[in-house]
Amino acid sequence: MSVADALGIDTGRLRESTDDLGRVAMVVVGIAFWGWLVTRWLYDWTLGRWEIGPGAGENFLSPAPLEGVADALEGSVVALGPVRIPVDPLATLADGIALAIDIAPALATGAWYTIVLTTVAIVLGFFIAVPMAVLRVYGGPFRWLALAYTELIRGTPLLAQLFVLYYTPYLALWLNDAPVVGEGFVPDYAFWIAIIGFTINGSAYQAEYIRGALESVDEGQLTAARAIGLSKLEGIRHVVLPQTLRYAIPAWTNELVYLIKYSSLAGFITVPELYYRASRIASSTFEYTPIFTLLALVYLGIVLSATNLMTRVERRVAVPGIGQAEGRQQG
Amino acid sequence: MSDRTETTDGTGRERGADASSSARGTETDPLLRIEDVRKSYGDEEVLRGIDLEIDRGDVEVLVGPSGSGKSTLLRCLNRLTEVDSGHIYLGDTEITASDADPNAVRQQIGMVFQDINLFAHLTARKNITLGLRKVRGLSKNEARQRADSELDRVGLADQADSYPAQLSGGQKQRVGIARALAMDPEVMLFDEPTSALDPELSNEVLEVMQGLVAEGMTMVVVTHEMRFARGGADEITFLAEGEIVERGPPERLFENPERERTKRFFESIRHE
Repeated sequence: MSVADALGIDTGRLRESTDDLGRVAMVVVGIAFWGWLVTRWLYDWTLGRWEIGPGAGENFLSPAPLEGVADALEGSVVALGPVRIPVDPLATLADGIALAIDIAPALATGAWYTIVLTTVAIVLGFFIAVPMAVLRVYGGPFRWLALAYTELIRGTPLLAQLFVLYYTPYLALWLNDAPVVGEGFVPDYAFWIAIIGFTINGSAYQAEYIRGALESVDEGQLTAARAIGLSKLEGIRHVVLPQTLRYAIPAWTNELVYLIKYSSLAGFITVPELYYRASRIASSTFEYTPIFTLLALVYLGIVLSATNLMTRVERRVAVPGIGQAEGRQQG
Repeated sequence: MSDRTETTDGTGRERGADASSSARGTETDPLLRIEDVRKSYGDEEVLRGIDLEIDRGDVEVLVGPSGSGKSTLLRCLNRLTEVDSGHIYLGDTEITASDADPNAVRQQIGMVFQDINLFAHLTARKNITLGLRKVRGLSKNEARQRADSELDRVGLADQADSYPAQLSGGQKQRVGIARALAMDPEVMLFDEPTSALDPELSNEVLEVMQGLVAEGMTMVVVTHEMRFARGGADEITFLAEGEIVERGPPERLFENPERERTKRFFESIRHE
């Protein structure tokens, strides 16, 4: 007899209600997180630009009162009869929230670049990865082309790839001279170089995941497709790939999560994304620990949103007998 | 069903001579003509000169021990496997000609597989409409109607929206047959269609196949189902080591085979 039984607690119901509670908490946090980001972006692009309200990139709330609270609490002690409790931790917390308010606009702008960079790169990379994986598995004598591409990209550091692209004069100059680059809403050329770099890099990893999934589809599927008169390519397109991509979703999600965080390397070629913003502020204020903690939380919010989205996609496209979504739902 | 003269010769070599000499006559109407087909995998010669003629509307059952080359021969007929030498004709067109489009050939020759190979991500109906849409170019509605009537033909009208994983083995194989039939093939090839199924599930598949026999479909069937061979076959061809050992109508091959090798084979499967 367990403790829960002895106390007459219905563990099943308890688990259910804590699950519900967790779900509600996640939804609330999610809405707050994305509400903040989207509000900030929209404000900075419109009202902030027209200098209505505090202005683009300026705080909505003032951190001053919290800073005052922190100053007042610092070093002071609350006496509860004979027990004396130091309130320094509260001071630190107030300080942290004040700092969060202070740097929130910069982080929100950085998050925009991080999200756009990751999304565009993963989507473009996908369209390179699929043909690469197909070439690798079905390419016959041309397999080595896909192999060479994958190994070259996977075998060299992403930062080196970015620097090579960034410092190769022709590409940078050509992009810099392109008429719309760096004007209005169009980001600077460094951003486009980062897109190219992450697209290429991500495509090599995605190609590997998709190759693995391609090989897990039974050979007989393509044979059957060809037996009804589909060409090899048509069979791959209509029969093999739809199954492959379902199998590949979990691994592909992993690549998406990596890319969200690896996109911080774009900061090294001056793309004003999350990491770049945070490190600039940190190096001028020396508040490294709280600033990078806040930075990590923003990344965490983006990553959790991405994995949540992909779980939904996986369930949406689930087909009985293919992939893992079904089994996972049944727990 | 067929009025073709019976050839009871023993070896592929002799039959080769027979086939070339029979080219003069027009009393038979072979739909499938196989001439001296050879195929090797590496050093292993799996088909050593196969000659065979199958008339329109006939049912040819290929039997033989495993490794005898019967499945390879079947796959050569729709060019899933390419022959090393020899010729295969469907009517007047040479399937094995270097300029023949294998995709066009396969539309005329339906195939049913031992491991069924339904498209795992598609419902029963969509397994059938895929070929109709992408190969035949039918509209969505036409393809759907055709698919539903084919499913009805194999008794699975109520399973149109089921995915393969939701069907029993026998149901899956019936969808596999419907999928091949939907392309309006001239010939249907069956590669051990029931050997992956439990005996009770085999029956529903065999019934569908018997229905096709009754409709006059030309069929080439690799099977160990002697019930089907006995009831449905016009000719049985016994292969061993890549050669045709003996060919004849079921009663004669079962009861009174000419070759010792044939006799031993049928005795061995009778004991199974």
